[in-house]
Amino acid sequence: MTTLAERPDVTRAGRSRRPNRRSDRTAIYLLLLPSLLPILVLSVFPLLRGIYLGFTDARAGRNVDVSFTGLENYRELLGDGLFWNSFKIGLLWALGVTVLQFLLALGLALLLNQQLRFRGVARVLAVVPWAMPPVVVGILWKLVYHPDAGLLNEFFHRIGADGLRTNWLGDFSTALPAVIIVGVWAGMPQTTVVLLAGLQGVARELHEAAAVDGASAWHRFRHVTLPALTPVIVAITSLDFIWNFNSFGLVYVLTAGGPGGKTMLPMLFAYEEAFRYGNYGYAAALGNVMVVIIVALLAVYLRRRMREAN
Amino acid sequence: MFGKTSRVGRTLQYLALAGYLIFLGFPLVWLLSTAFKPPRELVQLHPSLIPTNPTTQNFVQAFTEQELGRAALNSLQVSLASAVLTVLVAMPASYALARFRSKLGTAALGWVLLSQLFPFVLLIIPIFLILRQVGLANTHAGLVLIYVVWALPFALWMLQGFVRNIPRELEEAASVDGATRLQVLRRVVFPLLAPGIVATALFSFISAWNEFFFALVLVKTPELATLPVALARFVGIEGTARLGPLAAGSLLATLPSLIFFAFMQRRLSSGSLAGAVKG
Amino acid sequence: MLRTRFRRLAAATAVAVVGLGALAACGDGGDDEATSGPVKLRFLSLAWQKESLQANKDLVAKWNAEHPDIQVEYVQGDWNSIHDQLVTSFEGGDAPDIVHYEASAIGEFSKQGYLADLSDLISDDLKGQIDQGVWDTVTFDDKVAGVPFLLESQVVIANKKLLDAAGIAVPPADGGWTWDEFQANAQKLTKPGQYGVAWALKSPTNRVLNLALNFDGKFFYTDGGRTEVRIGDAEKEVPKRIHDMIYTTKSASPEALGMSGADTLPGFFGGKYAMLPGSVSLRQQMVEQAPEGFEWVTLPPVKGLSTKQAANPQTLSIAEDSKHKKQAAEFLEYFLNPTNMAALAKGDWLVPTGKQANEELVKLTGGKQGWDVAADSAADLTVAPFQMADGYPEWKTKYATPALQQYFANKITLDQLATQLVDGGKQVLR
Repeated sequence: MTTLAERPDVTRAGRSRRPNRRSDRTAIYLLLLPSLLPILVLSVFPLLRGIYLGFTDARAGRNVDVSFTGLENYRELLGDGLFWNSFKIGLLWALGVTVLQFLLALGLALLLNQQLRFRGVARVLAVVPWAMPPVVVGILWKLVYHPDAGLLNEFFHRIGADGLRTNWLGDFSTALPAVIIVGVWAGMPQTTVVLLAGLQGVARELHEAAAVDGASAWHRFRHVTLPALTPVIVAITSLDFIWNFNSFGLVYVLTAGGPGGKTMLPMLFAYEEAFRYGNYGYAAALGNVMVVIIVALLAVYLRRRMREAN
Repeated sequence: MFGKTSRVGRTLQYLALAGYLIFLGFPLVWLLSTAFKPPRELVQLHPSLIPTNPTTQNFVQAFTEQELGRAALNSLQVSLASAVLTVLVAMPASYALARFRSKLGTAALGWVLLSQLFPFVLLIIPIFLILRQVGLANTHAGLVLIYVVWALPFALWMLQGFVRNIPRELEEAASVDGATRLQVLRRVVFPLLAPGIVATALFSFISAWNEFFFALVLVKTPELATLPVALARFVGIEGTARLGPLAAGSLLATLPSLIFFAFMQRRLSSGSLAGAVKG
Repeated sequence: MLRTRFRRLAAATAVAVVGLGALAACGDGGDDEATSGPVKLRFLSLAWQKESLQANKDLVAKWNAEHPDIQVEYVQGDWNSIHDQLVTSFEGGDAPDIVHYEASAIGEFSKQGYLADLSDLISDDLKGQIDQGVWDTVTFDDKVAGVPFLLESQVVIANKKLLDAAGIAVPPADGGWTWDEFQANAQKLTKPGQYGVAWALKSPTNRVLNLALNFDGKFFYTDGGRTEVRIGDAEKEVPKRIHDMIYTTKSASPEALGMSGADTLPGFFGGKYAMLPGSVSLRQQMVEQAPEGFEWVTLPPVKGLSTKQAANPQTLSIAEDSKHKKQAAEFLEYFLNPTNMAALAKGDWLVPTGKQANEELVKLTGGKQGWDVAADSAADLTVAPFQMADGYPEWKTKYATPALQQYFANKITLDQLATQLVDGGKQVLR
């Protein structure tokens, strides 16, 4: 085959495709079917049921009657100061983690894409947080932040900076930043691997051409790498944001929402409402409201990015 | 990628890389150290990196009490099946999503995002009921099915992003050369997708390998239990844990994913666009 | 041509997915039991320490050998996920026959109808072994939701050498310190780099409400079917004293506030904390993890107006959906007979609820390693009003825990704490 520079007859190829429109449509459905089928069965039904629950007074219990209550849950929800407070914390957490995660992962992916020595080993080490069983991750970070015998405080002690020792997870001002760092740590490998994979798609020729033109490294990054990477970046940051907003297991292990509710994430709030107090209806209503708000935020983001990309 | 780099630049790059690796990789060192520590050394006020009286007792305990070997085998089976199936299902679908704009495709992508957004705890019970209904409760197949469905959103979103990255002109050029569509897919698209596929397979493997809750509630027979469920049994009330055996077991649980990735990571670079086109 | 190829590819993938389902359907999917053959019971246990795990497994093996017609399958769960696991399997109609959990959590399940009422299933003999006050912790709407079997009393574990150095005598098992004495001694044990006490207050609500009974602090009051939270002097006593120790006399470490009991151990073994108020089960860590030459003693519970504490025993329950409740109850009778209960308690370093089991245990251990204190503390444990209150879990998580954390972090005053607790009660107890 030849390189793309020598292939100008795009128009001809485009024309030849036209009569195939119909078959394309069939092809789409056939290609999508295998993935849509299980999704339909295992996600559409549970999801629709979950959304519906948000308009009922469903409670945990054996043979409990459920009745439709319309907007009752939402009326209550509007006045639920604790929830809105935790929603704010959730946004702070999800944004903080996603942005830091993305920036750090991009830096790491660029490094790992270089012809550095020990690159293979470095790549493997970079996915350690991802590969570790979640049960041990929470315990590990508790030991890192432990006020008496924690690795972090011990580090400050050994370098003679005892003044920086803090009760990281117990202090009202450091608890949220401390768990955000854990969140960044836990999600970075995934983002890094995706961005690294994305970087492979950036044509070397474009770079070489730009380099010949005398463009600086930054210029090349800004005008060649970044645009080519945009679809991947958009996809991974949106997913990361959703995942981060939804994840609460790690934070629950570390702080259980404390101190004083400073790390009470909204999904943790909904979880407790459902699994601890048995208020399925109200919890589902919380879910519906969060979905609507997050979808709205994402729509703004996605539309902007997509417009930039085009 | 940035062409020639000055010596100072190179040094800075290595320093930055070292910083990253310490941040991301130190838990492995900690696991290693803890796994060989006897109980007394686990509660020191000033913890030491190297065990004073190293012991292998933790490994013995971990394996005799919980049959971690069998659990690991179960996990391996489930995770590999999930990874292979996810890739097989997601590849054609993501191609369709990226190349043919259709309402169905947009709806599917939107749905996929939505399904990730709704509080998962509220979906667990209905999913559990469905799987029981179709006789998949208490089987590995049921777990695989859930894991595939679970990994699909990521797989579809990522892979369609990668497909979009492949210039349409390449495919068209190839088909002008007389290649059939399937040949185009096989010779042009899939090689270029290799890095994305690696990322997807890795994601699917690791999330299945580490998944805890479904493995816990869906599988009742102790012989079918997966590794995360077995490991959780070393954790006790209020954040206490039998740290020694837990660390020993976790160390061994971490390795397969790392090895899997070590083999796969080469493919993260070999699919570069120029190489594939020049063939 | 092109179309057929595509179709084939797609079809192949579809077959792979559907085939998976078919494959599984052929395999072992059913959880229905055979109509004949031995009765099978699933027992979800939460034992996790080495010794207690062994004790549990041994008892089950012995039972299975002696009862070929009633076979018990031992399934080990874990404390962190048990709640979610039970909610899911109860709602999914797939609950284990016998469930190990704790009194404070099974009330909800019982009220939701998932747990069998044991009042007619268990023998008077077993009932008579256990104090009424302890039975009350598992009785909801006159239904007995489980058999309480292991108690966790709050004692004080102390560093013997530091006590000696400060000239403080170890009190006898049946004559513990008063709160005043305890606070004064904590002060004596405080010097630069050393705190008298580490209050592990990661779960402050349970801790405070348990100990509040020392001063008759009830928190929840029910008049004429209406329950409300009231904070008077009795309720304020314990939080105020703990707060005083941290901020006024500075004899308790502020760093320990976010810790769980086990988190305080490095500091305790390192000589940073002289005394740990905590569960009797901490003795296990003392035996296993204390550095060589470290001497520790178990001091009896601290006394206010009384030494009463709220009991939150571990329990064994039978699922309402179980098809073999009678056989499950038979197993419980065997599993919890005095000798077996003593063995289980010993394995977990906890106090058995049965009187005879407790006596056997003291005999077995010679009262050493704090077993004398542990046995004596059993009499202090009783039911507290909060354990019976609907909505307690919600009040605890949403209002009480954040408020107490703020108070112990010195961010709000005692009066503000009281207001927040009462207001929270109004929100939840509607």
